[in-house]
Amino acid sequence: MNRISKAARAVRGVVAGAAALAAGFAGPALAAPAAGEYGVGFITENTGPLAAAGVSYHRGAQLAVDEINGSGWIGQGVKLKLGEKESGSDAARAVQALTQFSADRNVIAVTCCILSPVAAALKPVTTNAKLPLVIYGATLPGLPQPPYVTSIVGLPGPQEVKMSKMLAETLKPKTVTYFVNADNEGFQNRFKAAQKVMEEAGAKTAGVVSILSADTDFTAPATQAIATNPDLIMVWTTQTPAAGIIAALRARGYAGKISASDVISPAPVFKKIGPALAGVPFPILFAAEISSTPEAKSFIEGYTKKFGEAPDTYSAQGYTALYYIAQGLKNTNGKPTREDLAAAIGQIKSNDHNVYGGVPMVNGQAEVENSLVANWTADGKVVRWENK
Amino acid sequence: MQLFVEQLINGWALGSLYALFGIGFGLVFSTLGILNAAHGTYASWAAIAGYYAVDRFGVPFPVAVAAGVVGGGLLAVVVDQIGFQPLRAKKTGMLGALITSIAFWIILDSLAGFATGQQSLAFPATSYPNQMVVLGPLRVPQMQIITILALLVCTVGIYLLIQKTRIGAAMRAVGWNEVAAALGGVNARMVILLTAFLAGATSGLAGVLGGISTSNVSFTLGEGLMLKGFAAVVVGGYDDVRGTAIAGICLGVIEVFVAQYISTSFRDGFTYLLLLAFLIARPRGLFGSANFVRA
Repeated sequence: MNRISKAARAVRGVVAGAAALAAGFAGPALAAPAAGEYGVGFITENTGPLAAAGVSYHRGAQLAVDEINGSGWIGQGVKLKLGEKESGSDAARAVQALTQFSADRNVIAVTCCILSPVAAALKPVTTNAKLPLVIYGATLPGLPQPPYVTSIVGLPGPQEVKMSKMLAETLKPKTVTYFVNADNEGFQNRFKAAQKVMEEAGAKTAGVVSILSADTDFTAPATQAIATNPDLIMVWTTQTPAAGIIAALRARGYAGKISASDVISPAPVFKKIGPALAGVPFPILFAAEISSTPEAKSFIEGYTKKFGEAPDTYSAQGYTALYYIAQGLKNTNGKPTREDLAAAIGQIKSNDHNVYGGVPMVNGQAEVENSLVANWTADGKVVRWENK
Repeated sequence: MQLFVEQLINGWALGSLYALFGIGFGLVFSTLGILNAAHGTYASWAAIAGYYAVDRFGVPFPVAVAAGVVGGGLLAVVVDQIGFQPLRAKKTGMLGALITSIAFWIILDSLAGFATGQQSLAFPATSYPNQMVVLGPLRVPQMQIITILALLVCTVGIYLLIQKTRIGAAMRAVGWNEVAAALGGVNARMVILLTAFLAGATSGLAGVLGGISTSNVSFTLGEGLMLKGFAAVVVGGYDDVRGTAIAGICLGVIEVFVAQYISTSFRDGFTYLLLLAFLIARPRGLFGSANFVRA
């Protein structure tokens, strides 16, 4: 008995020593958050003027949480719990939602915002609360402020510049007329970037037609643009005006070339406007019909199964935001605090799980490299754009 | 010159929508004494009713318009009877009605959001007259011609109804003093119901036509019409549909010309400058009665 106890003690000692040695050499590699449920606050925009996109972001996030929890992606017994509070794209309500998430100690990170002004309103609040905030939709440059504010949204600038160059080379327009939101700084910057590309390529500006975000009647602006007789009309406006402008241009008989931004990519926009959108090129980071990475295919399949329809570019962003938070959590140890998670998120150099085929993170800002130029066909399919 | 004339027609058609909406808004104010903040939702709901009539039942254009008009009218009656009639009975005055109308505005707007899935919908292009009418060098969308004619018919019809018929006389009497009108043999309750229906139906017509021409059927549709319709009523005169029609057209034309020849940024500023100028210099509007005071 005594001899057995001595032997057992010896074995235990060896095992303990080996374990200590292993921990000493491989401590960081074995780092993992403690098992348990970690709350993530999602500030939804399922109502209000951007609800169509808001629902997509939310669904993408829901699918990501299901996958992460189902596969044990973060670690054994580690699960995310998505908590939602609605902002209706209103800055005051978003701040209120963030404050409530901040008061809930089970919430370890928050993700939010389609509109840049709303995201900007949340920045000081989340930084003071030391609560990691991941932006899933807003695109104004300069919003990230690591480690507490980061963005998984690829900025539209580079992809739109790329498309503008492609259009300048293939269409060779001599004159271009631009539609732009007079009340949206982001779209004004995007218009100016495209205009610069076109003018450098020798395409003169035939006219700039300004509209407001709340406008709904575009017959007069369409008349104004057609009167400039351009070779190409570029539409740099938010979604509802962009769809309305293209519909009005075609309704008034304009048969020339039109281009737009990714705001016309979601299926409800085509359902609304129909064949008038056919052939209008737009840059896009993700499209269910043409994105082909294994992660993208898996995402499309899972999303279609869960929601009965194909995902759009916005659902891909909601999905990516949750995987990004999960990746940060995966790199923490023990029972992480919000500060620990912020530090871990701030150190991410590349998103491990994304549908874009690579998302490097630079100073808390995603940089998506593989953008596509696509267009709707007359029967409602998204295909790679070709000059026809 | 061609651009000028085309934009004039664009402004005229746009202003016709404002005027149509404003006529309904003005009727409620002048007859029932209610500054109805929920009035814009009648236009939104009328457009939604018309859209679903087309989308679900494939009805032709005139039936879709009729569905919207009747829907707008019935909604106005329901809101009046649930929200305003109890206040009227208690004689709470204009403030109580305004607060109640704000509550209805919020409720009906939210419900409209759910009815459209929070999206901006559009009538299928094949469901309405969507061709261009060629008039010499000009190309005018058929919907613009329909909108302009709709305003003409409604303005003349409602003007004749109010000024030349016994029903109109009863409406004016109730607008002046409900109790005195009742003592004079007017069935005030029926007049109120008729006025509410007429107001909702006219604004509903603006909603359906606006929803079709702008490819925008959503809960935000009525909000845009509300502000401009209110301006048309103030500038035109609260108690005369002719003034509202002319003011609405002027607002539309000014809006389009300011955007075309000055800047979009100043467009709404000009509209409200005009509104302010009338409120200061001629508060009764273009055609309003000098002695128009709510009883």
